[in-house]
Amino acid sequence: MKRKLLTLLLAGSMTATMFAGCGGNDPEPATDNNASNASTDDDASKADDNNSVEDTSAPEEDASVEEQTLKVAAFEGGYGADMWSEVAEAFEASHPGVTVELTIDKKIEDVISPSMKAGDYPDVVHLATGREAALTETLTKEKALLELTDVLDMTVPGEDVTVKDKVIPGFFDTLGTNPYGDGVTYYAPMFYSPCGLFYNAGLLKEKGWDVPTTWDEMWELGDKAKEEGIALFTYPTTGYFDAFTYALLDSAGGSDFYNSCMTYEDGIWESDNAKKVFDLIAKLAEYTESSTVANANDQGFTKNQQLILDNKAIFCPNGTWLPGEMAEAPRADGFEWGFMAVPAVNEGGKGSSFTFFEQMWIPAAAENQDMAKEFIAYMYSDEAASIFAKSGAVQPVAGMTDQLDDDNKLFYGIYDNGATAVMGGFASTAPVEGVSMADTLFGTVNSIVSGEKTVDEWQKAVEEASDQLREAME
Amino acid sequence: MNVKKGKARSIFIGVCVAPAVILFFIFMIIPTFNVFKMSLYKWGGYSNNKEFVGFENFSKLMQDTNFLRSFQNSILLVVCVTVVTMALALIFAAIISREKIKGENFFRVIFYIPNILSVVVISAIFAAIYDPTTGMLNSILGIFRGDKDPILWLGDQKLVIFSLVIAMIWQAIGYYMVMYMASMASVPESLYESADLEGANHVQQFFSITLPLIWTNIRTTLSFFIISCINLSFQFVKALTNGGPDGATEVFLSYMYKQAYTNSSYGYGMAIGVIVFLFSFGLSALVNLATKREPLEF
Repeated sequence: MKRKLLTLLLAGSMTATMFAGCGGNDPEPATDNNASNASTDDDASKADDNNSVEDTSAPEEDASVEEQTLKVAAFEGGYGADMWSEVAEAFEASHPGVTVELTIDKKIEDVISPSMKAGDYPDVVHLATGREAALTETLTKEKALLELTDVLDMTVPGEDVTVKDKVIPGFFDTLGTNPYGDGVTYYAPMFYSPCGLFYNAGLLKEKGWDVPTTWDEMWELGDKAKEEGIALFTYPTTGYFDAFTYALLDSAGGSDFYNSCMTYEDGIWESDNAKKVFDLIAKLAEYTESSTVANANDQGFTKNQQLILDNKAIFCPNGTWLPGEMAEAPRADGFEWGFMAVPAVNEGGKGSSFTFFEQMWIPAAAENQDMAKEFIAYMYSDEAASIFAKSGAVQPVAGMTDQLDDDNKLFYGIYDNGATAVMGGFASTAPVEGVSMADTLFGTVNSIVSGEKTVDEWQKAVEEASDQLREAME
Repeated sequence: MNVKKGKARSIFIGVCVAPAVILFFIFMIIPTFNVFKMSLYKWGGYSNNKEFVGFENFSKLMQDTNFLRSFQNSILLVVCVTVVTMALALIFAAIISREKIKGENFFRVIFYIPNILSVVVISAIFAAIYDPTTGMLNSILGIFRGDKDPILWLGDQKLVIFSLVIAMIWQAIGYYMVMYMASMASVPESLYESADLEGANHVQQFFSITLPLIWTNIRTTLSFFIISCINLSFQFVKALTNGGPDGATEVFLSYMYKQAYTNSSYGYGMAIGVIVFLFSFGLSALVNLATKREPLEF
């Protein structure tokens, strides 16, 4: 009988220990990724983060200052992770008593969303829209973001200007910062970069071809190049048509028309101006390098970009990160990057270039909302902006471009010759099941190039999607 | 005394299996139940704004042409991959285990290697093979076709799903071949000897002896085929085409991911999950029923 009791006890303890692993909320933050392991892009490092020791133990010196911990989650993009730890340190130095707990990852949504689902939110998140996991969009659609309108009137920490006056005019007037289109700011603009057409300037020089400034010149160049077996156009994936199409729309119908498109106005996609854009892309499809569609996926998009370096295609829509992305790639002799705005759609009109920028926001469920706002205001200080600029990330603050190297100056100088800056994408709506504007408007380009669908079918599908999304707007 | 002993025994057994049962309950039953529950809500996945919508998600699904296309693609993959892989795996297994060929072990290893590789690696290999200009496939075909326009294996929307089929078959053959070989090894040699004496050739032996005697094994693998096809097709699509070009290779799990995350429609995604769940269960049951035979003893 004694033995039986023992076995029962053992089995009982087995069950009990099993639960020990499940229960208990870890008092440590889910991730406190400090610079040391933030720079490793290894996914496995995520698992280690749970155990990493927090080295910013509570400072003891000043008892009068209120101790606060600000949880900052930032997406580690092409600019690297180091600038974030540097900025966090600078923020801590200027705000005694505040400890910044930084989480940086290339897939930040995978790191923070499990604890967010469990109700544990970071205070500030730096994560742009347009990512595949669409965390920013989801929170926007769910109305789970904190309004940032009062941040505009806050004074930039350590300076005597307000955020509104410091940021380049125009940035706070777009759907990229006011996602519902009602003038209320929910995203703070970060790291802007112009998108346009990259081309092989070396090839054009070698052949004695002029850089086209209108679409007619573009088609002429396309015909000339075709005779030599060079395609006029390629694109990495259809996802890159967003900035390109936005620029075309604005150039075709002006900014009011553009905003009508972005807010799904009834019939707007069937208007003449929209038709011009659809037709233009369809014509461009005829000049597109033949293997582009086969490589227009996450696995092969660099092969499409390589076409430019190999003198097999001339133009490619992209953002300023492209030269960095292709820095190691082999290239034709005399290759030289060129970058220009998208030529005007209307004769005599203005060219345009979409300005891509990332976003920083505060979840409505964040704990330290005031300090989070202070952190966002700090992002526009000269101190923070200079730290970012060292890594090539440009804050939308006047005068920042002076601090850039020559290559980047060329890219940011795209607006100097009169091109319009286009900002902000589609307005946010409540989620509509099975309807995706990005898939309908941009994804279809593959079918246009391969001849699978006609322009009319495309235009009709976009208008239908627009109709459904308009109903979901509030 | 006996009754007491029996009771103690069942308590003991109960306590012993409890951990497994509890784990199974927590990690299998509850999540599955939650998928079913969430499919009845309109929910983005994060906030507390859950709205009960009944079967609305399902009725929307039935009208969603993108979903129907992803359903078609999934069925096409399940059918093509299963039929071809099973046929090839059986033939190769029969040849390697029955015919006396040189390097039997060598082939066994070669066929099994793809199974060890991760899907991402296989996708990278096939992306290189399918490359329109420098890929192996087009280079070889170029010998016969000459300098015509290259075939876009991953770009032609009518072709791309079959490019996926080929990659999936290549990946799966080795695993099933080894399984069939294992059961073929247990078929007694004497049956083949007497068949030889009766004058049956090897093809007849395969259909009259090998196939009926490994039938139970084949039935088991059919369920494996269905489940692994649905799971692997998601991984292949994610790594190779991401559903493109323009949705031509969308399968229902990749569509579910797109809806649940990229399109912020978590409830709708879960409704797709329910359909996938029911579909794979139903199909497995159907196949199991259709292939039921009186088991043969050696």
